[in-house]
Amino acid sequence: MFRSIDDVIRRLGEQKYICNKNVATVVYLACAMQKPVLVEGPAGVGKTELGKVLANSLGLELIRLQCYEGLDEGKALYEWEYAKQLLYTQILKDKVGEILQGSQSLKQAVDRIAKEDDVFFSEKFLLPRPLLRALVAEKSTVLLVDEVDKSDTEFEAFLLEVLSDFQISVPEIGTLRAKHLPLVILTSNNSREMSDALKRRCLHLYLDFPEPQREMEIIKLKVPGVGEKLVEEVAYLLQRLRKLDLKKKPSISETLDWVKALTLLNMKRLDDQLVQETLSTLMKYEGDIRKAEEELKRYLADRKTKLHAAAVESDKDLLH
Amino acid sequence: MNDQIVEFSNLLRRNGIRVSPSENMEALRALELVGVGDPHGFRTALRATLVKRFADMRLFEELFELFFLGFGKAVAESDRRLMAQLGLNPKEFQEWLEQVRSLLEHRKDHLSPIARALLAGDMGQVERLLREAAATEDGEAVERRVSVGVYSHRVAVAIQIDRVEQETADFLAWAESRGAAPEILERLARYLDERLKALSQLLRELAEQELRKSGQTPPGRERLEYLMQKSFSYYTAEDIRRMNEVVTQLARRFKNLLSLRRKKADRGRFDVKDTLRKNLQYGGVPFEIQLDRRKREKPQVIVLCDISDSVLNASRFMLQFVYSLQELYSKVRSFVFVSEVGEVTQLFEENEIQTAVEMALKGEVIDVYCHSNFGRAFDMFYREHFSAVTSKTTFLVIGDGRNNYNSPNDWVLKEIQQKAKQLIWLNPESRLTWGFGDSEMARYVPHCDFVEECRNIEQLYKVIDRIAA
Repeated sequence: MFRSIDDVIRRLGEQKYICNKNVATVVYLACAMQKPVLVEGPAGVGKTELGKVLANSLGLELIRLQCYEGLDEGKALYEWEYAKQLLYTQILKDKVGEILQGSQSLKQAVDRIAKEDDVFFSEKFLLPRPLLRALVAEKSTVLLVDEVDKSDTEFEAFLLEVLSDFQISVPEIGTLRAKHLPLVILTSNNSREMSDALKRRCLHLYLDFPEPQREMEIIKLKVPGVGEKLVEEVAYLLQRLRKLDLKKKPSISETLDWVKALTLLNMKRLDDQLVQETLSTLMKYEGDIRKAEEELKRYLADRKTKLHAAAVESDKDLLH
Repeated sequence: MNDQIVEFSNLLRRNGIRVSPSENMEALRALELVGVGDPHGFRTALRATLVKRFADMRLFEELFELFFLGFGKAVAESDRRLMAQLGLNPKEFQEWLEQVRSLLEHRKDHLSPIARALLAGDMGQVERLLREAAATEDGEAVERRVSVGVYSHRVAVAIQIDRVEQETADFLAWAESRGAAPEILERLARYLDERLKALSQLLRELAEQELRKSGQTPPGRERLEYLMQKSFSYYTAEDIRRMNEVVTQLARRFKNLLSLRRKKADRGRFDVKDTLRKNLQYGGVPFEIQLDRRKREKPQVIVLCDISDSVLNASRFMLQFVYSLQELYSKVRSFVFVSEVGEVTQLFEENEIQTAVEMALKGEVIDVYCHSNFGRAFDMFYREHFSAVTSKTTFLVIGDGRNNYNSPNDWVLKEIQQKAKQLIWLNPESRLTWGFGDSEMARYVPHCDFVEECRNIEQLYKVIDRIAA
C-alpha cells in the first residue's frame, strides 16, 4: 500500500500516470480507509486508466467489471453450475451407493447422505464472475467497476452490499466474506445520477480536464519525441477549445491521439493547413470541427500579432 | 477539531448539501490520516468524504472558504494593509508589534480583554471572543433572518465596541502623556485605527458565517414543489431558469422508474422452448418455468407544439421533457406552429436541448408574430408531413385550441388518430374554459384518445408517463 500522498504521486508517476495532489490524496485515503472511490468526470480524462494504473503500481491483480444496461448478478457475481453438479451426481452414483450400503432404515440413509451434503453444495459449482472473483481472491485485488452509471438501478442496489460489507449472499451456500478487501474504483460518466446510498459508501473524486501545465507533462510523457514548442501550443489551444460550446469537448485521450498524428506528420509548430486536416482526430462531430476551425483561425491570428509584437520588441532592443 | 467538522457539515446541510452522520465520521477518519497540517490535503479529504455530487462542488468550495479561511483571510489582509500603511517589512512589523505589546503590558488593567487582544494583534483570541459573543446572542436574530449589517451590529453591541473604541483612544492619550516621540505616536494612531477597522471587518465576516449557518436561502424543496404546481402562465424568467433543472431531474427520475416497471411487466406467456432448454440441467424435469420476454417496441413520438404566447411555456417544457427522455423512444420528431408548421427535429439534433428549445421558440423556423391558426397548421401538416405518422406513433399536440374563428380542419386529427397508435392533446388552459369563445376544443376532443389539462409541470409529468407506456 501507499505510504503517503507523495508516495502515491511518485508511484503513479512511475506508471506514466501524472496526477495532481487532489487525486493522490483521495487515492491515498481510499487505500488507508479501505473505502471504494467513485470517480466522476467527462469522458476521456483517465478515469478507467486510474484503476488500471493503481493495480499496476500496487502490483495487484486488476479485475474489471464493465457495466451496461441489463447487466445482472449472473454476469457480475456468480453462476451456479447446475449441469456440472448434475454430472457429478451421475458419475458418483456408485459412490453414493457405497455410502448408503448397509444402512438399516431410510432415516439412517438420509443421515448418511446429509453428512456428504457439502460436497454437492460447495464452491466447486460456483462459477465466479468479476465481483466474486475479487472477493474470494487469495490476494487483495483492484476491482474496477467501469461506467457504473450505465447499469440498472437494481444492480446498483445490489452493489451496495458488496461495497459496504465486502460480502455476498449466495442462496445455495450462504454468505461469502472477502478474504482480502479489494480496492474498489467505480467510474461514472454521469449519464445518470447515482443513488445517495451508493455515494454515501464511497469517497468521491471528480476528475476534470487537466491544467495546461499538467497536460503538457502528460503529452510529453505519453508521446515521446514530441517538440517542446508544439506541446506548449497544443496545450494552450486546447484550453481555448474547451471553453467553446462543443457537443463533445476534446479530452486527454483525444489530445494524445492528435499530438501523435501531428508528430507523425513531423510538425514542429501548429500551422493552418495540417491542423485543419487532422482536426478530425480531436473532434468527433461535424459541428464541433467547424467551431474548432474558427477558433483555430483566431488562435493563429492572435499568435501572429503576438509574434509580431515580440519581433518589434526585439527590434527595438537591437536599436538601443 | 471534531466539533468544528461537525459544525461545518451542519453548515453544508443547511445550505442544501446532504451529509449523513456516517460521512461525517469518515471525514474525521480521513483527517486523522491526512493530518490537519497540510491545508490542501485537509480540503481534499473533506471534499472527498462529504460532497458526493458534482453539482455541490462549487457550493462546498464557497462554504469552505467562508468557514475555514474567512477569518484568516481577513486577518492576513488587515496585517498586509497595516504593513503597507506604516511602510514596514514583515520583520520590522513584528518588532513594532513587540513594541506595542510591551506598551500594552503597562496598561493592561485599563483594557477589556477584547481590546487587549485586538491591539496586541492576537487575532485568534479576538476570534474566540467574537464567537463567544455571537453564541450568547441568542438565535432570535438568526431566526428572523436579519441582514448581515444588522447582525454584525448586534454582536458589536454585545462585545461593547464603543468601549473598545474608548479604551483605544485612552491608550493613545496615555502614550502621548508618557511623552512618546511624535512619529511613534503617529504610527501608533494609524496602527490603532487600522486595528479597529479590522475588528469591524471581522464582525462582518462572522455575521456572514453565522447567517449562512442558519441556511438563509436554501434552494429549498418547498420552493420547487411550489413551482411544480404553479401555472405556466404566471412564470417569471427566473422560474423558467429554475424549472429547466427540475425538468432534467424529473426526466431522470422518470427513466429510473420506467426501467423498474418494465422489468416487472416484461414477463409474458409460458415459453415452451426456453423452459425445455433451461430445465435440461434437471434432466428435463421442468423445475423452472421460463416465461416469454415480451419485446417492447420503443414508441415513436411526434410532438406538434403551438408556440404562440399563450402556451409558450407548456410547449417549452414539453419539448424539453421529450428530448431529455429521448433514449426511451425510437424516434422523436417535433414540429412547431403558430399558423404555419415548421419542423424543428434537426435543431435538436445539432444543439443542446436548452438552446434548441430556445431557438425553436424564438422564431428561427417559423413566423411567431401572427395569429394562431390551428386549422391551417393541421392542414399543412397533413399535406407535408402526414407520411411521418405510422402505426407506432404516439402523436402529441400541445395547444389551447384557440383558433381565432378560422376553419378548424378537425378531419386531420381524425386521420391521424386512425393511423397513429394514440393521439394525445394537452391543453394548458383550465378545462372549464374549453369550448368557449374561439376555443375549438369541443370539435377536437372527440378525435383524441386522451385529452388532458396541462397547466403545470406536475400535470406534464403525468402525461409523459402515458406516452412512454
